[in-house]
Amino acid sequence: MQADRPRHVGARVQRVEDTRLLSGTARYIDDIRLPNMLHLSFVRAQYAHAKILEIDTDGLADLAYPTIVFTGKDTAGIAVTAHQDFPEMQFSEQPVLAEDKVRFVGEPVAAVLADDPYDAEDAAELVFIDYDPLTVVGTMAQARDPEMPAIFDNWKGNIFIERQMKGGDLDAAKAEAAHVIRRTFYNQRQTGVPMECRGVVAEYDQASRVLTVWTSTQIPHLVRTYICEELGLPESRVRVVAPDVGGGFGVKGQVFVEEVLVPWLAMKTGRPVKWIEDRREHMMASIHARDHEHTLEAYVSAEGRLLGLKADISVDVGAYSTYPFTAAGDPGMAAKVMPGPYDFQAYEATFRALATNKCPLGTYRGVARPSAVFSLERLMDEIAAELGMDPFEIRLKNVIRDFPYKNVLGFTYDPGSYAESLEKARDLLAADIAEAARSKASSDTRIGVGCALFIEQGAHGTPDFTRRRVPIETGYIAARVEMEPDGEVIVDVGLQNHGQGHETVMAQVAADVLGVDPSNVYVRQGDTLTTPYSVGTWGSRGGPLGGGAVHEASKILAEKLRAIAGHLLQTDKEKIVLYGGKAQVDGAEDRFIEIRKLCRIALRNVDQLPEGMIPGLEAAYSLDGSADGTYANALHAAVVEIDIKTGKMKLRRFLAVEDCGTILNPLIVDGQVRGGIVQGIGSAMLEHFIYDEECQPLSTSFADYLMPLATEIPNIEVHHIETPTPRTPLGAKGLGEGGAIGPAAAIANAVADALGISVLKTPLNGNEIWRLATAIREGE
Amino acid sequence: MRPTPFEYHRAESLDHALALLAEFGEEGRPLGGGQSLVPMMNLRLARPAHLVDINGLPLDFIEVEGDVLRVGALVRHERYLKEKVIGERFAAFHDAVQWIGHPTIRSRGTIGGSIAHADPSAELPAVAMLYGATIIARSANGERRIAADDFFLGAYMTALEAGEMVVAVEFPLPPAHSAGAFMEISERRSDFATVSVGAQITFSGGSITGARIVATGVELQPIRAIPAEEALSGKPLSACEARAAGRAFAEGIDPISDNVASSEYRRSLAAELTSRAVEKACQRALEAGQE
Repeated sequence: MQADRPRHVGARVQRVEDTRLLSGTARYIDDIRLPNMLHLSFVRAQYAHAKILEIDTDGLADLAYPTIVFTGKDTAGIAVTAHQDFPEMQFSEQPVLAEDKVRFVGEPVAAVLADDPYDAEDAAELVFIDYDPLTVVGTMAQARDPEMPAIFDNWKGNIFIERQMKGGDLDAAKAEAAHVIRRTFYNQRQTGVPMECRGVVAEYDQASRVLTVWTSTQIPHLVRTYICEELGLPESRVRVVAPDVGGGFGVKGQVFVEEVLVPWLAMKTGRPVKWIEDRREHMMASIHARDHEHTLEAYVSAEGRLLGLKADISVDVGAYSTYPFTAAGDPGMAAKVMPGPYDFQAYEATFRALATNKCPLGTYRGVARPSAVFSLERLMDEIAAELGMDPFEIRLKNVIRDFPYKNVLGFTYDPGSYAESLEKARDLLAADIAEAARSKASSDTRIGVGCALFIEQGAHGTPDFTRRRVPIETGYIAARVEMEPDGEVIVDVGLQNHGQGHETVMAQVAADVLGVDPSNVYVRQGDTLTTPYSVGTWGSRGGPLGGGAVHEASKILAEKLRAIAGHLLQTDKEKIVLYGGKAQVDGAEDRFIEIRKLCRIALRNVDQLPEGMIPGLEAAYSLDGSADGTYANALHAAVVEIDIKTGKMKLRRFLAVEDCGTILNPLIVDGQVRGGIVQGIGSAMLEHFIYDEECQPLSTSFADYLMPLATEIPNIEVHHIETPTPRTPLGAKGLGEGGAIGPAAAIANAVADALGISVLKTPLNGNEIWRLATAIREGE
Repeated sequence: MRPTPFEYHRAESLDHALALLAEFGEEGRPLGGGQSLVPMMNLRLARPAHLVDINGLPLDFIEVEGDVLRVGALVRHERYLKEKVIGERFAAFHDAVQWIGHPTIRSRGTIGGSIAHADPSAELPAVAMLYGATIIARSANGERRIAADDFFLGAYMTALEAGEMVVAVEFPLPPAHSAGAFMEISERRSDFATVSVGAQITFSGGSITGARIVATGVELQPIRAIPAEEALSGKPLSACEARAAGRAFAEGIDPISDNVASSEYRRSLAAELTSRAVEKACQRALEAGQE
């Protein structure tokens, strides 16, 4: 009915949140200051694995200012637990303050409170802990060694869980194969690094018995549920608020021990308590990511058809299982997504989560997919090299073309543009490919072109989580839309913006349905007091499910507006069009009533409502994803230039051909893709969280942990193909993580192309490129 | 990431600053641009009880006096890029400045701070050695003139004594028939250098008459590449055999190894950058065409 009129969805609408984010008027966790507030500084473990013999706090008594200190004895039994409900799972409990033992450097051991944050930090230095160091489990090999001591008392060995996923007849595929290609790939340990570190402020009001917790999180409702379950509080009287969040990237998508401890301290002391994490704490004790080792064995026909794939997946998940995705999150995800965009029907994956004395692993943009895509897409190039085929040719020969496609594990893919993206990229890269070929004669400078084709499952529904048997349990997003007597719209959605631009996009969606301008829509999120229960923002679901829920709730409200307008204009409500602030009779534009007048009637002058209509303008909708979710696809390609003598690599070009279904806002899509790619470039070339043999962290500042900077990033070209999905109301697929998924694979493939060598691990830093170029350098 | 308690003192004059530093001894540190000291204090790696702020002192001069370029301790790095004498006479110096940190670091950081901090990978200590500079140190007891070659003793270790501060660095003006270049490899443009090499040559009649080459990233302080310097002597500018010079240097070193770069990688970079810096210096000499 409104198809021919310009819409807000799909338009290049500038982000409304940027005004405050860029002008310094945003309100972050550290901006929250309450009267009589105590500041918390942690004493954190200095050993990776040790018994706590004694905690000496006598030094605090001599200070000129008062302090309060709590240790694991005070908080005994309060912990974060995250179990995957399989009999194979060995359970871990992460105490909010270490009790008898510490299991990674940075684990909180004592909490020191003072009136001033500087004093709290000085006082924390005066707490002396006597440790008895234990044998450190520091590597994947050590974690798999049954001779090593278990880091949990009741465990056998140090494997959280080892399971399998399989489909089809792998033996038959192997028997039929002309080529068997086996490689082991490794991606280094990283940390997530949002610009804003974590922080929690908590205040307990004795009068109302309401506990308010401000935390820099992506998942306010899940934090509330966890706090209430762990501390025995009613969810009705606990309010969790995420203020402006300065980046999360998945890091802030777990419930952390600090988020349970700080509210407990506020209740215990009867005073507001504030903890602001510093960068060093963040890097050693929030969550880590990646650290995957995959051995893949491909069974390939003489013509280059992939017949089957066998995978062995190990992930170093650190010392504790994280809530709500658990220690099994990364290895399970790697096993699940490994089949990727290719058509084959025999697969077997063994995957395991290995416990070590390191910071726990959690979700970080892409969650296992960057590693799975690195391994599979490197393997495709290895197969191409072995068979003497071109990387595009091998992919085009194996790529899925007919949709919906049921993959080897039973997941059904919605329509995508896999082959088209390959063909488009090949055309865009023709000149680079030719130049790369010519550079092979040089032993000074080599050019390489590499690509990575991948799919990104997003917006998956409850069945996907049920299958995993993890505490996340569901994935629906709820929205409530309300109109006020003056025609203004309030959208309350169970997401939490941490950079995505929800306030802009949700307003676009509601405005189109309600016929108003986006500037008349106020989007609220992140506060459990105002927003309906939901799982928060993660897993590339804000646009497709959050946007979808806002769309469906707005439709309910629009229906009511049309009914009122039809009554007043004495026409059938089906003939009413909501557009440009007016409810008008379709085809008779002079017959209209302003929408704000309808709102006034619905809420104030209710005597004018149709007989029997209930006053009010409020609608809610909860949207779950379809069982298998949506599958966005993308092709990333890198062109690198390598100085053979110095190992210096320059990214000459990076392009993405992406398809996220219906584009809700092209500016935001491009920003999401580019931001993700920059992080992926960091994974490929720079970011490496290093531990020494005793699991002492060596990368705890930005001098040691190298983030990609503008000087290292080329202009990123983003090309779009739009294949709307039938699985969400707006045709949008999840896209938030995609940018970070492809770059490590694309860049590694480009290096392999440039140097004519196997590339099996990241980061591809100067030393590693120099090492890989040894044969060329010495052949001169 | 908050510093331990300290007292802040604003120096009203150089004598005042020196008196304060004498009083505080090991507990006192002069505060210039704060680009290394303040982060180290926030990480509690440095815990001075007293900071003596010298930013108000008249130490931000760059002046040529006879055959000497005098650079005051408070000169900020970005200024060299605008100084004509640096661009025209100190090409390697000019090259090196572009590798110092980010624009913010270059606009705040000072030469006195960089020299006194003696980060093993820093550019300005290498530049000071490359030009045979003299570090002027002052304390309440008077002035000491220390040759750059004798100043840098190890990572963050210098010949400065407690109560002493750098007030200026004196660079002898290179002779007319000279040229130089500075090369660096780092993971990112603004990072601590993995290896850097500066080369300064003098020439006559189309041949090299003398060379001075300094490298960082090999030892924990900048070192002279003496075998390379010797190898270049007498070589023609147009065929100086820079590669051989680089190899001669690299063969005699046993570089440090860390998480950024292995010893082998550093050795290879030391050879390659020596070769490239010498070639660039020779190219500049030939371009100048001043024979």
